Amino acid sequence: MAPIVEAVNLKKTYMLGKIPVEALRGVNLKVESGDFLAVLGPSGSGKSTLLNLVGALDKPTAGTLLIDGVDVSTLSDNQLSNLRRRVGFVFQFFNLIPRFTAKDNVELSLSIAGISRAERKKRAEELLETVGLKDRINHKPAELSGGQQQRVAIARALANNPRFLLMDEPTGNIDSRTAREIMRLVKRLNEEKGVTIIMVTHDQHLAREAKRTVQMFDGVITSDIVNGERT
Amino acid sequence: MRARDVFGYSFSAIKLRKLRAGLTTLGVVIGIAAIVALLSITTGLQNTITMQLETGLATDTLIVAPGGGIFDGGQGGGFGGGALGGADSGFRLLVNDTQTINSLSTDILTSIAVIQRSGYINSTEHERVTTIVGVDFAEYKNIYSTTFVSESGEIPDTPDNNTIVIGKRVNERQNGTVLFTAGEDVKIVWTNATARPPQNESYTAHVAAVLQEVGGFAFGGPSDRNIYIPISTAQEFFNTSECETIIVKLANSDQATIDAVSKKIVDEFAGEASVISSTAVLNLLGSVFSLIELFLVGIAAISLLVAGIGIMNIMIVSLIERTREIGILKALGMKSRTVLAIFLGESVIIGVIGAIIGIALGWVLANVVATVLSSGAITVGPGGGAGDGGLLSITPVLTPLVFLGAFGFGVGVSVIFALYPAWRASKLKPVEALRYE
Repeated sequence: MAPIVEAVNLKKTYMLGKIPVEALRGVNLKVESGDFLAVLGPSGSGKSTLLNLVGALDKPTAGTLLIDGVDVSTLSDNQLSNLRRRVGFVFQFFNLIPRFTAKDNVELSLSIAGISRAERKKRAEELLETVGLKDRINHKPAELSGGQQQRVAIARALANNPRFLLMDEPTGNIDSRTAREIMRLVKRLNEEKGVTIIMVTHDQHLAREAKRTVQMFDGVITSDIVNGERT
Repeated sequence: MRARDVFGYSFSAIKLRKLRAGLTTLGVVIGIAAIVALLSITTGLQNTITMQLETGLATDTLIVAPGGGIFDGGQGGGFGGGALGGADSGFRLLVNDTQTINSLSTDILTSIAVIQRSGYINSTEHERVTTIVGVDFAEYKNIYSTTFVSESGEIPDTPDNNTIVIGKRVNERQNGTVLFTAGEDVKIVWTNATARPPQNESYTAHVAAVLQEVGGFAFGGPSDRNIYIPISTAQEFFNTSECETIIVKLANSDQATIDAVSKKIVDEFAGEASVISSTAVLNLLGSVFSLIELFLVGIAAISLLVAGIGIMNIMIVSLIERTREIGILKALGMKSRTVLAIFLGESVIIGVIGAIIGIALGWVLANVVATVLSSGAITVGPGGGAGDGGLLSITPVLTPLVFLGAFGFGVGVSVIFALYPAWRASKLKPVEALRYE
């Protein structure tokens, strides 16, 4: 079966004023369906840049990035938007819309995909139940704890049955107990529902929960360990 | 994303900042209200004046006055009453010029001379400033058969020298007090400014009749604010053989007849006299009102443009504040054109609400102004030696064109000024927008 994500000599250079900064300097990576991949690395190692490229939030400077066999660099703005609907994004700072309730935030993702109101409502309630927030569906983000907000963000990311979940430091802004709960939820989604997960973290303990660990440093992958074995 | 959901999202964004949205909308409301009020009033005013002129003017009459243009004014009270007067060439119309005019064309049924002076009418208890008009009663009745009609008393065809007929407004104050009655003797006074020193001339007159209310401007025809004396008395009293205007009654009101007769009269007086028809007056009035409308709407439109700049300003502020939100929306797969639609949707909502409230407010404003004008706080008239002003009973007119135009303009301005911020929002790169603090 073709990999969901395939990066070949992927490069990304940012301009910091007039100075070019090489965030990725030739990344090669394959992610198969059902993987649970943790990307580790210090700040500035390029892990978030890699996540943004895989999530079609940005385009590579050079190299090839295939998502579901499609070269991202050839896609138009509209096609990239369509691709993003098949990707579930979970951010460190949750990125919920503050004026919307938990249910509205989940529904927003479905609304963007053009799902009918009735279907949206049903699906949002189901997803919030899955992440354990059935009794908080009408609460706004400000009325929820950090962990609960991250659960809402996960529910929103799952709304359109994405091909994979991209998580950027998902526990970076919540306490360790809640972080463990979130990780249990993520693991359950991977094991029981077969959701492919790519998670960026700098927390070694959390990375151990993943099936595969990729270590990055200075814009390249320095190690790739699957079930404790280096590939 | 479905259109309804786009509008729902736009509305939720507006609801979040109610005061700001309210103030932005207020700009549109004021602009639209100003446009609607000004257009409704000017259209109503035009209708009123046109109607009043049509009442005062017979379409089969021409008015001849000295000077190259009818608005050059005559001697102390023509159409322009001297207020609009221009250079005086020294040419004067004579009362017996009517005979010359009558002989010019078979299309001319008759013509009458009109002498006008400012003066007073006195009784033992009351005095009123008025315009004293000398005409041939029988012919004047014939030409203005619907307006030179008595309400009390009788207008004689062959009046005595001291007979007078009083206009309704001369006879009655606005509060309904009746000052003079048919059958009463009154004193007529005018100041002879050409005498050295100027001196008041007067004689005792007998009120034969009080006219029915004409309600129109005295554009050649009878006026509620004039008193009428026989032409022979006027010549003697004012010691003149000159007249201010000559009214010509035509056989028909065809444009060809009007043009042909007008030309003959102008040629006869070697261009020293001018001729105007009621059609020309109405056309001229239409042109003047179009210009006034354009001018007023232009001023009002400027206020709407200012509102538009306000909208743009607020949208740019909103865009900056919501950069991260736009990043989230794009990360969730929202297309750039949907982001554009959301921002434009906000401006459409502001424009629609602003336009609807503005139209309603403008209409109310127009009615308030019309009521104030009609209540007598302000009087407007076409001039005349004695200030021949009349009260204006304006009914504001909101035509479908004004309604739709104002609505479209309000929404259009809102959308146009939101285009730039909306475009900027749509072009935000998701990864940069998400990083925005």
